Amino acid sequence: MALYHNQPMAHAQEPTAAPIEHRFNPYSDNGGSILAIAGTDFSVIAGDTRQSEGYNIQTRYARKVWQLTDKAVLATNGFAADGNNFVKRVKQRLEWYEHAHHKPMGLKSIARMIQTMLYGKRFFPYYVYNILGGIEEDGSGAVYSFDPVGSYEREACRAAGAAQSLIQPFLDNQIYFKNQQPEPGSQPFIPGNLPLATVLSLVVDSFTSATERHIEVGDGMEIYIVMARDRTTDDLLGEGKLQKGMEIEELGTLGEGQGERTFLVRQALKRD
Amino acid sequence: MENNGGSVVAMIGKDCVAIASDLRLGNQAVGIASNFDKVFPVNDKLYYGLPGLATDVYTLKEHLRFRVNMYRMKEEREITPKTFTHLVSSTLYEKRFGPFFIEPVVAGLPTPTELDPHPKPFISTMDTIGCVTTPKDFAVAGTAADKLYGVAEGLWEPDLEPEDLFETVSQTLLNAVDRDALSGWGAVVHIITHDKVITRTLRARMD
Amino acid sequence: MFLTRSEYDRGVNTFSPEGRLFQVEYAMEAIKLGSTTVGITTPEGVILAVEKRVPSPLLESSSIEKIMEIDSHIGTAMSGLTADARTMVEHARVTSQMHNFTYDEKIGVESCTQAVCDLALRFGESVEDDDALMSRPFGVALLIAGIDEKGPQLYHTDPSGTFVRYDAKAIGSGSDAAQQSLQDAFHKQMTLMEAHSLALKVLKQVMEEKLDENNVQLAQVTKEKGFEILGENELKAVIETLAAA
Repeated sequence: MALYHNQPMAHAQEPTAAPIEHRFNPYSDNGGSILAIAGTDFSVIAGDTRQSEGYNIQTRYARKVWQLTDKAVLATNGFAADGNNFVKRVKQRLEWYEHAHHKPMGLKSIARMIQTMLYGKRFFPYYVYNILGGIEEDGSGAVYSFDPVGSYEREACRAAGAAQSLIQPFLDNQIYFKNQQPEPGSQPFIPGNLPLATVLSLVVDSFTSATERHIEVGDGMEIYIVMARDRTTDDLLGEGKLQKGMEIEELGTLGEGQGERTFLVRQALKRD
Repeated sequence: MENNGGSVVAMIGKDCVAIASDLRLGNQAVGIASNFDKVFPVNDKLYYGLPGLATDVYTLKEHLRFRVNMYRMKEEREITPKTFTHLVSSTLYEKRFGPFFIEPVVAGLPTPTELDPHPKPFISTMDTIGCVTTPKDFAVAGTAADKLYGVAEGLWEPDLEPEDLFETVSQTLLNAVDRDALSGWGAVVHIITHDKVITRTLRARMD
Repeated sequence: MFLTRSEYDRGVNTFSPEGRLFQVEYAMEAIKLGSTTVGITTPEGVILAVEKRVPSPLLESSSIEKIMEIDSHIGTAMSGLTADARTMVEHARVTSQMHNFTYDEKIGVESCTQAVCDLALRFGESVEDDDALMSRPFGVALLIAGIDEKGPQLYHTDPSGTFVRYDAKAIGSGSDAAQQSLQDAFHKQMTLMEAHSLALKVLKQVMEEKLDENNVQLAQVTKEKGFEILGENELKAVIETLAAA
């Protein structure tokens, strides 16, 4: 025993603190917000265009909302690289599906597929919140919202992203009529059947409010409007229907087209 | 803040101000009481709300009552909203390095004086160490602050009459606290006008 | 026809110099030995009918299963080496369920048929990482009946992995005569009941034994009730109408 105890230390050294670890973090948060509202025969999907990392604005125009098919639009929010890549893969799957089954994928099928794609990466998730909007097989406007690992739900409206906490309670009040009751004797409120003009102004108000109070929201806004077949477009294209500063463009059909029409409205937001 | 939960909002209207709060007292996620007032009167033209750590709510409220009474006796007049704000602010800053965990909101109607016969309705808010902001629209604080900002930004408009201001502040508070797990369990609203204070407790979701 | 045997008979996936895969062609022959199977499409739905050969009175005829469900809206009838069909039906079932799981919708009848045919040519020597291949071609043909958004459809698949859509089709030992009868009697506006009778009439013509409720099986796929195998009483009723006519 003495042999061990009395052995002089070869390299007498002060013990260091814990070893310095370097670890790669594969995720980032790129801010911004997205929002979608369903009507009876239309669906509105919107997002701002600012992309930031911390206090740094990377770009004032980065796309977060994507036209997938003639009746589906997907908004992504969270880690932009994952979002872009996810959209790419979804589009690829849509193409494969069309080749295999000779028809474009329906909205609810896209929703389910997105779930399986997200859950497929349950243990290295896409750091993305998705909102899918469009027209259902029966012609009704629809919104599906997802969490990063694929839990999903069809709803009348949903906000996500940096300003979710600012926008969602406002939508609860204005779309779901929460904490409101109709005048005695008048019709009950039904969520999801507001006229397009009302929905559009709620979208604009939501984003201007979020821009006002949240540093990660602003610069510009893209609003996609998907209209069911045979629906009038007078309430969008008619004289004086758009608010000041709005620019509209119709997006051509991607497939053979079954009468659904998609419009893109752009509006500037404050850049400060 | 997250220990007991709770939120307060104040808004300016036309010759009136509103201040409202939820009634929840919690121990983290567990609800303890649904009658925990966070808004207190200074006089019938001046109210303030103290969302934050419940023990500090009591301490600060008593402390402020003491200092307001001393002010009243020394000055022989009622304290103005602006002065009261500074009183609260300096009280908080005294504890700069061991602060009260409270973000006060003050709402009041200054009484007309010869110098200023038509004073504007006044609201203010502070951080935990008394840094003051005096908005001209609305002030929010508490665990549902971000939600309150969003809804208030969407609903508030200038020059609301007392009843419209009541509706606006009520809707703002209810819809914001319904999305906040730590706020809710009832709500109380005070509308301060020149001739009276209207206090109403609201029917709210109790979950 | 097959007197000129050659070395190309042995390699299951070796082309002969004439460009033929003998093993696949032999597999097609195996079907011609199978029991007769008939499928008919009508605007109301698709029907499938099979002959069940009962070689012994001691055999429990209900244990012969030649019509199987693939999904609630697709069924299949087989002729040939029915044991091989189990692998194919299993694959079709899994594919249908996977489609429903992934896309929240019923699989198309054509897509389902395609999935079955994808299996057909996966025989031969297995390559590394390529698990569980068949060593020989399937010796069975299927009639796949179903309804989707494109309406009632009937598909025929064979061991070469080819599939073709038919209004009415007969396969198996009596297929030549049966197909001719179908061609003569089929019309596009047939009711489901007429199709039932026609299918049994056609089977009756080509069967050696006397047709009764024990040696045939009848199934249908309708928009309302999806795939169902007809029960003994329903089958008896159809046979009675046949006798009355």
